Amino acid sequence: MDSLLWSHSSRRSKIAVCVIAVLAVIWVVTPFIWAVINSVKSLPATFSAGAIMPFVNFQPTLDSWREVLGDPQCLNCLLSSFIVSAGTTLLVLVLGTPAAYSLARFEFPVPSKEIALWFLSQRVMPPVVVLVPFYILLVDLRLIDTWIGLILLYSTFNLAFCVVIMRDIFRDVSREVEEAARIEGASLWQIFYMVALPLSLDGLIVTAIIVFAFSWNEALFASALTSQHASTLPAFILASRSTRGVDFNVAAVNTIIAIAPPVILSFFVQRYLARGLSFGAVKG
Amino acid sequence: MEPASRAEARSERAFKYGMLAPAVLWVIAFTFFPIISALHYSVANYVLGQGITGYVGLENYTSLLRDAEFWHSLEITLIYVGVSVPLEICIGFLLAWIITVGFPAKGFVRSVLTAPLFTMEVAIGYLGVTLFSSQGGLISFLLGLVGIHIDWMSTGSGGLAAAILLDVWQWTPFVFLMSLAALGAIPNEIYEASMLEASSHWEVLWYVGLPLAWPVLTVAILLRLIEGLKSFGLPFALTSGGPGTSTQLFSIRDYLTTIQFFDFGHGSAMGVLYLVLASVVITFFFRQMRKRID
Repeated sequence: MDSLLWSHSSRRSKIAVCVIAVLAVIWVVTPFIWAVINSVKSLPATFSAGAIMPFVNFQPTLDSWREVLGDPQCLNCLLSSFIVSAGTTLLVLVLGTPAAYSLARFEFPVPSKEIALWFLSQRVMPPVVVLVPFYILLVDLRLIDTWIGLILLYSTFNLAFCVVIMRDIFRDVSREVEEAARIEGASLWQIFYMVALPLSLDGLIVTAIIVFAFSWNEALFASALTSQHASTLPAFILASRSTRGVDFNVAAVNTIIAIAPPVILSFFVQRYLARGLSFGAVKG
Repeated sequence: MEPASRAEARSERAFKYGMLAPAVLWVIAFTFFPIISALHYSVANYVLGQGITGYVGLENYTSLLRDAEFWHSLEITLIYVGVSVPLEICIGFLLAWIITVGFPAKGFVRSVLTAPLFTMEVAIGYLGVTLFSSQGGLISFLLGLVGIHIDWMSTGSGGLAAAILLDVWQWTPFVFLMSLAALGAIPNEIYEASMLEASSHWEVLWYVGLPLAWPVLTVAILLRLIEGLKSFGLPFALTSGGPGTSTQLFSIRDYLTTIQFFDFGHGSAMGVLYLVLASVVITFFFRQMRKRID
């Protein structure tokens, strides 16, 4: 048992372990708390960093929340972020899951592992390599500064991820159930969406959340390929950083709005997370 | 073969290729052609408004290689990755170990430590301004309490250091998660047996945990190197590449060349050079992945 490692430890190393764990939690949590505190301060109050107790050290106010949420451009970007991320997730799953299933179940002239690795090579390519071509492509297609343009792009990068990880997950689904369905007369397609998909639902959800988070957080193409209309939150933040500088309270509100959705989603996907993020190199 | 099974085989073939084809075609359309197009632009003389006006051979590449700013961006990118990745590996693995040893409230600590992974890099860089600023910044304030004054935001090295610290904050959880999975996959009997021999669990960490988790750690290192070389949002939001060009990491410089100056020739050439550089790491990564996935 793990606990043997614990129970056989000296008191001193037990204390060391606890101290390290507590420090780690503080280190991780501090920026979040800092953002929350600053988000309810008035601008002048943000200059006294030591004032951290609301009502005691400073008078909390929701002014900066009102300011940010009252800014139509910010709301527009929030909407764009949701639409682009959700659209990408949907498209990636629709294109990627069937391919992953096919690779997990069938033989091809090239070993399916090699095909998976080929997909993976698209995922690890540095995005700046294709910045110019994509810019020109989207200009030609008249898709610059549109949701569809971003969705096309993000789908490309995330498709590879979905294929690789879902292939790995489908391989875990027992074939016996599928065989049984086949004997019952189910078609291959029916087996896929009525047996294999429901059985890999956990993996599918993790994949969806990771793809959503990647798209939500992507900054390079978001700011290169949009100007106003389809700007997502990262583009909005970069733009407001350069045009109006950094007001601590506004920055804090923006940060919270920007990081909350994926972080909240992440709490639901502890299982499969290591596996998903390592493209299946780690089973766990 | 009887006809029925031949028909079945045919329908199976149609099914498996039909399922795979859309994704393959998609990737070919949206990455193969762009890469070829990038190579094309990298040898072209591109003038804004007129498009490609002629070909300059390797001129875009050679002028980059003569450009001190280009080398500077390469240098600081390597420093950025070279400092942040080892820190992330050491801290992440150590934290995974103490959770494995049996720190109480495992689930809670694990969830908390995973959260930064999903935060938006740009937002973290932006929040970082408020952490490192010398006026009202939390870190400057805390360091001030113990009499340390560091000018994070007004010098290149300060900005780079701040960006590295934030990168470590964000990505240590990735290594932590990988290491946790690797250490958790080691059979308990091994821990038990070695614990009876060892004087403390730190010894077990060094002689058992680390060697057995090493293959997974290698993948984590390579993935972090690949991702680290791409770093854009966090440092850009933190420093905007400044002061001057002092914190223009490679991606930032390429982005500005392309999008701010519309210099598509040099932008593409930078991208291609970057791919060459990154492919060293990527090659090692694929060697590992080929072993690990089946």
